Amino acid sequence: MTDTAPATSAFDAHRPPSAELAADCVHCGFCLPTCPTYVLWGEEMDSPRGRISLMQAGLDGEPMTDAMVGHVDACLGCMACVTACPSGVQYDKLIEATRAQVERRHRRPVTDRLLRGAIFALFPHPRRLRLLRGPLRFYRRTGVQDVVQRSGLLDRISPSLAAMEALAPPVRPAPRLPERVAARGRRRAVVGMLTGCVQREFFPRVNAATARVLAMEGCDVVIPREQGCCGALSVHNGREPEAIAFARRTIDVFDAAGVQHVVVNAAGCGSSMKEYAELLRDDPAYADRAARFAGAVRDVSELLDELGPVAERHPLPVTVAYHDACHLGHAQGVRAQPRALLRGIPGLELREVADADICCGSAGVYNLLFPQAAGELGERKARSVLATGAQLLVTANPGCLLQVAASVQRLGGRIALAHTVEMLDASLRGRTVAQLHDGLALAPEVDLSGSGRFTREVPGHT
Amino acid sequence: MAVEQPARDDLKKVARARLARGSKDAVGGVRARYVATPSSTEEVAEVLRVAAQHDLAVVARGAGTTLDWGAPPTRADLIVDTTAMSGVVDHAAGDLVVVVRAGTPVGELQDAVAAAGQRLALDVPDADATVGGTLAVSPSGPRRLLYGTARDLLIGITFVRADGVVAKAGGRVVKNVAGYDFGKLLTGSFGTLGVITEATFRLHPLPAARRVVTVSCPDAATAGRAALAVLGSQVVAAAVELDQGGDGRVQVAVLLEGVAAGVVDRTRTVLDLLGQGASDDDALPDGFGRLPFEAGGTGLKVTTALTGVGPVLAACHRLAGEHGVPVTARGSAAGVLHVGLAADAQPEAVAAAVQALRLATAPFEGTVTVLTAPQGVRALVDLWGPVPGLELMRRLKDEMDPDHRLSPGRFVGGI
Amino acid sequence: MTSGTIARLAQQLRAALGGEAVVTDRTRLLTYECDGLAQYKVTPALVVLPRTTAQVADVVRACIAAQVPYVARGSGTGLSGGALPHADGVLVVLSQMRAVVDVDPATQRAVLEPGVVNLQVTRSAAAYGYYYAPDPSSQQICSMGGNVAENSGGAHCLKYGFTTNHVTGLEVVVPDGTVVRLGGRAPDPPGYDLIGAFVGSEGTLGITTEVTVRLTRAPETVRTLLAAFPSTDEAGGAVSAIIGAGVVPAAIEMMDALAIEAAEAAVHCGYPDGAGAVLVVELDGPRAEVEAQFTEVERHCHENRAFEIRIARDEAERALFWKGRKSAFAAVGRISPDYIVQDGVIPRTALPEVLRRIAALSDGSGVRVANVFHAGDGNLHPLVLFDDAVAGQTEEAEQVSASILDLCIEHGGSITGEHGVGIDKARYLPRMYTEDDLDTMQMLRCAFDPHGLANPGKVFPTPRLCGEVPGRHKGPHPLQQAGLAEVF
Repeated sequence: MTDTAPATSAFDAHRPPSAELAADCVHCGFCLPTCPTYVLWGEEMDSPRGRISLMQAGLDGEPMTDAMVGHVDACLGCMACVTACPSGVQYDKLIEATRAQVERRHRRPVTDRLLRGAIFALFPHPRRLRLLRGPLRFYRRTGVQDVVQRSGLLDRISPSLAAMEALAPPVRPAPRLPERVAARGRRRAVVGMLTGCVQREFFPRVNAATARVLAMEGCDVVIPREQGCCGALSVHNGREPEAIAFARRTIDVFDAAGVQHVVVNAAGCGSSMKEYAELLRDDPAYADRAARFAGAVRDVSELLDELGPVAERHPLPVTVAYHDACHLGHAQGVRAQPRALLRGIPGLELREVADADICCGSAGVYNLLFPQAAGELGERKARSVLATGAQLLVTANPGCLLQVAASVQRLGGRIALAHTVEMLDASLRGRTVAQLHDGLALAPEVDLSGSGRFTREVPGHT
Repeated sequence: MAVEQPARDDLKKVARARLARGSKDAVGGVRARYVATPSSTEEVAEVLRVAAQHDLAVVARGAGTTLDWGAPPTRADLIVDTTAMSGVVDHAAGDLVVVVRAGTPVGELQDAVAAAGQRLALDVPDADATVGGTLAVSPSGPRRLLYGTARDLLIGITFVRADGVVAKAGGRVVKNVAGYDFGKLLTGSFGTLGVITEATFRLHPLPAARRVVTVSCPDAATAGRAALAVLGSQVVAAAVELDQGGDGRVQVAVLLEGVAAGVVDRTRTVLDLLGQGASDDDALPDGFGRLPFEAGGTGLKVTTALTGVGPVLAACHRLAGEHGVPVTARGSAAGVLHVGLAADAQPEAVAAAVQALRLATAPFEGTVTVLTAPQGVRALVDLWGPVPGLELMRRLKDEMDPDHRLSPGRFVGGI
Repeated sequence: MTSGTIARLAQQLRAALGGEAVVTDRTRLLTYECDGLAQYKVTPALVVLPRTTAQVADVVRACIAAQVPYVARGSGTGLSGGALPHADGVLVVLSQMRAVVDVDPATQRAVLEPGVVNLQVTRSAAAYGYYYAPDPSSQQICSMGGNVAENSGGAHCLKYGFTTNHVTGLEVVVPDGTVVRLGGRAPDPPGYDLIGAFVGSEGTLGITTEVTVRLTRAPETVRTLLAAFPSTDEAGGAVSAIIGAGVVPAAIEMMDALAIEAAEAAVHCGYPDGAGAVLVVELDGPRAEVEAQFTEVERHCHENRAFEIRIARDEAERALFWKGRKSAFAAVGRISPDYIVQDGVIPRTALPEVLRRIAALSDGSGVRVANVFHAGDGNLHPLVLFDDAVAGQTEEAEQVSASILDLCIEHGGSITGEHGVGIDKARYLPRMYTEDDLDTMQMLRCAFDPHGLANPGKVFPTPRLCGEVPGRHKGPHPLQQAGLAEVF
C-alpha cells in the first residue's frame, strides 16, 4: 500500500486539514442531500462525507492524486453541509485547508492553470475590472453580443468562456462614492463600508444604495478610497499567500478609518472577512488585529437588524422571492435578518424558494471553472425561483444575482433582480417599484412549474 | 392391512392417531389413510418424522373450513389434525401481543383477547376456522383496508418442517428485523412449507364506538367512484365494502370505528360524501365479511388496483349476460373482491367467465384466483393464473420440502 | 480470486455500463469503505454505478460468471454494516437510479427506483395530499432500496407499520441474474409472499431495481406534544397508561437526560430544562378523533408527573419538537468522541426494568449510555458513549453494548428492531434463534442465492453451503474442510 515516506503523502505539515475535525464526522450522511455535487452526480466522492474520507486518506498517507484533487476542486464551498450536519463538523475549515494544500502541492493541467491564472489576474482587482467596462459596453451596444450568443460559438470553444459571456453583467455608470457619508438624524454608529470588486465595478448602484440606507438609518459611513479586494475568492480557492496579503491590506485600511463596524453587502466577502482571524492566526503582527477586525464585520442586513429600523418605510407593493446566498445563509447564518428587513417594507409580499439550501451554482468563480455543473445547478435554482411566481428575486451577492439571471434567461423566463439593500433604499426614499431598476422592466407573474403528475423526474439528469 | 400397520403403529407411538374414516377424512376429494391428532409442537414434530420415514404425504387440517381451497393434493396419506393444539399460550395485554396455538378457532381467540378490550384486527369468513388454517390460506376480509391481512398482523411463528424439525421465526415484539421473515412465507402458503403449530399476533384495542354508512348505487361505476371518494378522504374508514346484486345495483358500506365523538363526526362526513340516499346505522349489513360462495360452487378471489374496483365489478355483472353465468360479487374497495358462481353453472361457462375476468383485471394489474370449484370446473381452468416468481417459489419448496410431501400439488405451479 | 479477475471484470463492466459507471481508482474506492456504521471499513475491489435494471442484471451476471461476491448500497447510511463492501467483491451503488417513476393518488401508489430518497417520496406525493408513512430518522437521505433491504421503520411505524407493510410491488435482480417482477399496484399477488420474504433480507436475496409502495392519505389533523418528566420511570408510566387506555398514537418517542443534552448541543431544540426524560407524543387522524384522544394523552402525562407539557401550535413548532429526536444519534458526536448505537427491542411493559438495568450497566462500567427510543413499541436505541483514545474504553463499550442485547433477548425481545443484522449483529443472532431456526432461514437464502455471492457474510454468522448446485463445488469446499461450514 502506501509507504509512510512523507514525500508521497497528500499533505505537508503547513496547515493540513485537521485530523481531529475530520474525526468529528460520524458518517450519518445528512450532508449528502444538501450537497450540490451529490445532488447532481450521486457519487460518494463528490459529497462532503466522501471528501472528508479523501482528506482522511491523505492524512493517512495516500498521495494527492488527480482524482483526489478533482473531487476537492468540484466542491462549491457552499457550506450547506455545515448547516445540515448534526455533529457539527467544521467542513469549511477542512476544505479551505485542503484547497490551500492542493494549490501549493499539485500541478494542474496547463489549460486549467491558464484559466485560473486569468481569473485571478482579473477578479480580485477592481481597477482591472474597471478597464473591461468600455469593451463590454461596446460588445453589448453594437450588437456583437447578439451575434456571438446566437452563433453558439463560445460554447464550442470553451464552456467556461461561454459561461463568462452569459454572465457578463450590464454596464452602468459607476460614479465614485464619496469617502464619507454623514448620518441622517441621530448618529447611531460609525461604520466602514467595503465596496468590493465586481460589486464596485458592475453593481455600483448596490454600493450607492448601501451607503444611502446606512446613512438614513443613522450611520456615518466611511468608504476608504484605498481599499481593494478582501481576498474572498483567493481564500476560497486555496490561494493562501494571496489571500493573506489582501487580508492584511484590508485590515490596515479599515483600522486606519477608525470605525466601529465594517459593513459588507456581498455575502462572499462578509463570510471571508469574518474568518480573518483563522487566516492570519500564524501572523503575530496581525493575529490580534484580525480577530478584532473579524468581530467587527457585519453584513449590511445584520447591522440594520441589530440597530433596529428608524427611517420610515414607504410601501413597495411587489412580490419578492428571497434567495439565501450560501455565504450569507450557510457560512454566516444570516437568514432571518434580510427576511425581517424585507417584511418590514409595507406592501411587500415575501415568498420562499423551494430547496433554498441548494446552491445556485455561482459559488465564487465556480461557474467559470465548472460551467456545466454550475449550469445545471443554475437551472434548478431558476426553476425553483420562477415557481414562486414572484416578480422580483432579491439576493445579497453579485455572483448569485448574475448566475440566477443568466439561468432564468436560458430557461426563457423573466424575473427582475435586486439586492436586499436596493429594496430598502427604494422604500426609504419613497421610490416606486418601476423606478427600482430602470432598464429592467418588472416581469409579469411567470410560472414554469407545470402541474399534474410527476413522471421521470430525474434530479441532475437534464 | 399389514403394510399399513407399521405407519399407524409408529404414529400411535408419538401421538393420538387412527385410520382415516373414508370421505370424512378427505382433502379436496382425496381420501387420506391416517389421521394424527398431536397435542403439542413436539408431537407434531414426531409425527412428521414418522411421516418422513414412511414417505407419507401430509396435509394439516384445523376446522376444515377451507380444506377445499386450492387444488386437490396429488396425494394425501396423513392428515394432521390440529384441533387438539388449542388455546391461548400467553396474552400480554400490556404489550398488545398474543401467543396462540394453531388449532384454536379464531372466534375463541377473539373472545379471549376481548376480555382485555383487545382484538385481532383480522376478519375471517368463518369464526370456526382455526388460526393455523387462517394463516395457511390468508383470507381477505373487510378490515384489511385499514389493518392489512394476516401477514401484517403476524409477528412470530413456530412451525414444523417436512423433515420434522421445529423452527421459529419472528418473536414476541412487533419491531423485529432479525433474520428472515418466515412468517410472511408461511402465510398463505396452503400448508406446503410446514405445519404451523403456534403463532404470535399483534393486537389492537377494541374500538369504543362504531357506525356503518351505506348507500345503494345504481351500478358498479357509481359505486366504484363512491368508494374511491371515501378512500381519498380523511375519515380513515376501517372498511369500505361493495356488494353487488343480480340486478347490477351495488351497495357500498363504510365502516367507521373509533372514539364516539370522532365516529359521529366522521359519519357526517361520509354521509355528505356519499350523497343522496346514504344512511347510517349501528349494525353491519347482511353478509358483511361473508364470502359469496355457494356450497359446491366456484369461488374466486379477484384483485385489482384501487381504480379497478368499479370496472371489475361491472365486468362481473356482465358475466351473467355474456356467459350465462350469474355471479354474486362482494369485496373491499382495497381491491380484493370475492366472486361466487353457482354450483350448477356449466363448467365451460365458468371457465369462460374466469377468462373474461382475468382480461378485465389485467389493465389494473390484478389477478383472478380460483379458490374453490367443482371438479368439472377444475378440469378446465387454471386455478392460479400467471404467477410471477414461480421459479423462485419452486426452488424454495425444493429446499424446504425436497420430497414434496407437504400438501403436494395444492398450490401454485403444482407445488 | 486474483486481481486479474477484478481487472477483467472491470473491463467487462466498463464495456457494458460505460466508463464513468465503473470506479477502480484507489482513492475513490476508499470513499465507499463504510456505510453509516463507521466502525467497520473495507475497501471494495470495484465500485459500479448502474443506471438501469438491465445494467444491474449485467453486473450480477458478470459477478456470477467471475464468481465474485457483490454488495448493494443505496445512500450508505445503514447502521448495521449491510452495505459494508467485500474486499474482493463489487460494490453495486444504486444512487444513480433515483427516478420517481410514478406517483398516482388514484391508486394510492408510488413507483420508485431504488436510489430515490425516502423523504423524496413524501415530497412527490404531498401535492396530492398523500405521503409515504415509514419515516426512519435518516429519511432525508436514506434510499428506498436500503429501506427495502432493512425493512426500515421510524418513529411512526407504531401506528403505520414498516416498509414491509407498505411495499406492494418489487422488481428484483435475483442472484441468478434474472429480473423478477413481483406484485404491483394490486394487493395479494398469488403464490408465496416473496415480497414479504425479500423486504428485510438485507441484500442477501438480490438487488431491488424498482419498488411500488402504498401512499397514505395525509391525516386531517396532527397534534404533537412534548412532555418533560423527572425521570424515565415516570415517562414510561405515562406511555403504559396511554397505550393501556387504548390510544394508538402515531408516534411516542422518549429521550433521557443525556440524549437531550446531545440534541440540545446539536440543534438547539430547546427541550425543557432539567428533564430526566422527555416524551414526544403525536396523534394523527380525523379531527374529532384526535382531539378527544389528545386530551386523554395530556391527562396521562399529568397524572404521571410531567412537569412541563408543550403542545405544538403549528408545523414549525412540531418540526422543532421532532428535530431534537431525529438528530439524536448524530448529535451525540458532540458530547462524546465515539459511540455505539444499539437497536434492541423489548416488550414495552419491560421498559422500566430494562432501563434500570442499563443504568446499572453504565454505572458499573463507567461508560455512559444515552437512551433514545420508540417507547410505543419498545424499540430501544441506547447510545453507548466512549472515547477510543482512553485505554480499555472501547472494549468496555462493546461489552455494555452486548449486555444490552442480552437484556433484550432475556426479556423476550429482539436484537434489532430496525437497523438490521448486517455484519454488526450476526454474532448475536444465535442468541435469539436456535441452529434449527437459522438452518431453516438459510433454506430461503439457498433458494435465492445458491452461488452465495449476494452480500455474503451478512446476517448469518456462519455461512452454510447450499446443496448440489450444478457447476459449483465438486468435493469439499475449503470452508467445509476447515470445519467452518456445513452442507445441508
